[in-house]
Amino acid sequence: MADILRGRARSRQGLFVGWIRALTPANSWPALAGLLVFAAMLALQQLIEPGTQRLLTSVFLFVALAQAWNIIGGYTGYASFGQVAFFGLGAYTVAVLMNNYHVSFWAALPLAVLVGVVFAVAIGLPLLRLRGHYFAIATLGAAEGAREVINNLTSVTGGGGGITIPTFGSDAPTPYFGKPGFYLAFLVLAAVSVVVAAVLARSRFGYAMVAVHEDEDAAGAVGINTTVVKVVAFGVSAAIVACAGAFYAFQQIEFYPTDVFDASFTVLMVIMVMIGGSGSVVGPLAGAVGLQLLSQFLRVNLGNFNQLIFGAIIVLVVVFFPQGVVTYLRDAWRTRHFSILDNVRRYRL
Amino acid sequence: MIAPSEVPSVPVLEVRHLAKRFGGLWALRDVSFSVSEGEILGVIGPNGAGKSTLVNLITGHARPTTGQVLIGGQDVTGQRPWVIAHDRVARTFQIVKPFRGLTVRENVAIGAMHGNERDRSVRDSLATADELLDLVGIAKHANAAPMQLSVADARRLELAKALATRPRLLLIDEVMAGLRHHEIESAVELIHRLRDAGITVVAVEHVMKAIVSVSDRILVLHHGSILTLGSPREVLSDPRVIEAYLGHRYVKRRSE
Repeated sequence: MADILRGRARSRQGLFVGWIRALTPANSWPALAGLLVFAAMLALQQLIEPGTQRLLTSVFLFVALAQAWNIIGGYTGYASFGQVAFFGLGAYTVAVLMNNYHVSFWAALPLAVLVGVVFAVAIGLPLLRLRGHYFAIATLGAAEGAREVINNLTSVTGGGGGITIPTFGSDAPTPYFGKPGFYLAFLVLAAVSVVVAAVLARSRFGYAMVAVHEDEDAAGAVGINTTVVKVVAFGVSAAIVACAGAFYAFQQIEFYPTDVFDASFTVLMVIMVMIGGSGSVVGPLAGAVGLQLLSQFLRVNLGNFNQLIFGAIIVLVVVFFPQGVVTYLRDAWRTRHFSILDNVRRYRL
Repeated sequence: MIAPSEVPSVPVLEVRHLAKRFGGLWALRDVSFSVSEGEILGVIGPNGAGKSTLVNLITGHARPTTGQVLIGGQDVTGQRPWVIAHDRVARTFQIVKPFRGLTVRENVAIGAMHGNERDRSVRDSLATADELLDLVGIAKHANAAPMQLSVADARRLELAKALATRPRLLLIDEVMAGLRHHEIESAVELIHRLRDAGITVVAVEHVMKAIVSVSDRILVLHHGSILTLGSPREVLSDPRVIEAYLGHRYVKRRSE
């Protein structure tokens, strides 16, 4: 008994060997399923028309954004309403470098991610001391501030007049990817964000994020440096969002500060995570795919009232599945208890 | 416990003139004492005596207004909780603080992942958690949600979470309050086993009877100051302690 209180003997076995040995059919199916979906999406590209390709590209974008928001807002419990700041900064970093300095996209991309992470750490250190609504409002303000800075740095960013990335002829630092290219780019981005989230969630750091979410005093008491956990989670989230912003900028070619600092990006991230179910990997994935496809379906089939119906559906889902659809299904499946009314009672009363 | 002939060693915990003020109220005032390795120190006092504040000041969950906290001779005053935890000091909370979204096993494993002598992998930590759950006697609830546990089991979970960080000094904040008689007995036995495993224990308790049977020495706090510090027998026979706990009318009635 005394032994376990002092620590366990360390094996010399490498960490990865341990990982691979730990794989069983039961716990490796999510990875296999993910690979299959990825392969299917690659194959699908050859079969679908350009319109559908564009739709799926936007689905992939939101999968990445939702996964990113979930890392800080879901797992760590800090609901950021300023994630679009990293999106806009990533977009503008790429555009400014490509347009003003003729830097290739692939060289600009890591710098865009770096700018996003640096900004996240800079605002995270003071703001992550705030909790709940205060953090939400402060991040919202930080994002508005970032947009205004870009808006007013006219000599560099073109200000409110927008910015254009040269994409044709010898002016282009990197040839335009085209629809198929961006389909692939955003598919890979989505896949990377899902893998990052899944690996994080199963790591020590993932448990630390959940602990911080649940109770910071208790987390500190078991040796978790809560400041580091919060700032790193915010930084990882910002890196993914900035990366998405960079690809988005190149895809759009021409845009304005109001486009890439549009707060509705943040709102969509939040809604997708909440609808799907926060604090899991599948929840935001399902939320992003479901809402983006639903929104498109309504737009095509319902005409003028599509946004109204879309909003009404979101309200209904939030009322009946406050914990998120995926979380509800998982819990219901485990307990074999599917009553939706009971579910509402459990979370509302 | 400590014989005079023993070589004086650095105390595991030393508190010097510790004080904490909340606005106009001194929750703790000029508290000094030290705890030797392998000792079990009981801390008692009526509600509002400053017991939990004392624990919070030691573990970095609150900053002292004045005074010092030394762990193993090193000044750790005002350090953050995780720094103290990495100095091999663990604690439980009076109002239990489980990580609700995780299973009981995962709750304990977190301490093994982030405390001292960390396990190499999440899997190892989960295995450690199982052993500790067995030690505190709630192994059968390993897969349960912490909110499903009874009061007594939730306290045991707090203890297992703290032990997973591999402490040399364990501060327990009222793990026995609200427990039934036989549950208190098993808690007392567990504390003795922890001491035998080389852990120094500071046990804050409201339940006088339990603390007397478990402690080598007892510190009595009253209105934020030390009323007395001594062996259980000395403390129990001190009229000031009886008065603080039971009121002066009780003392008068007894002397009549």
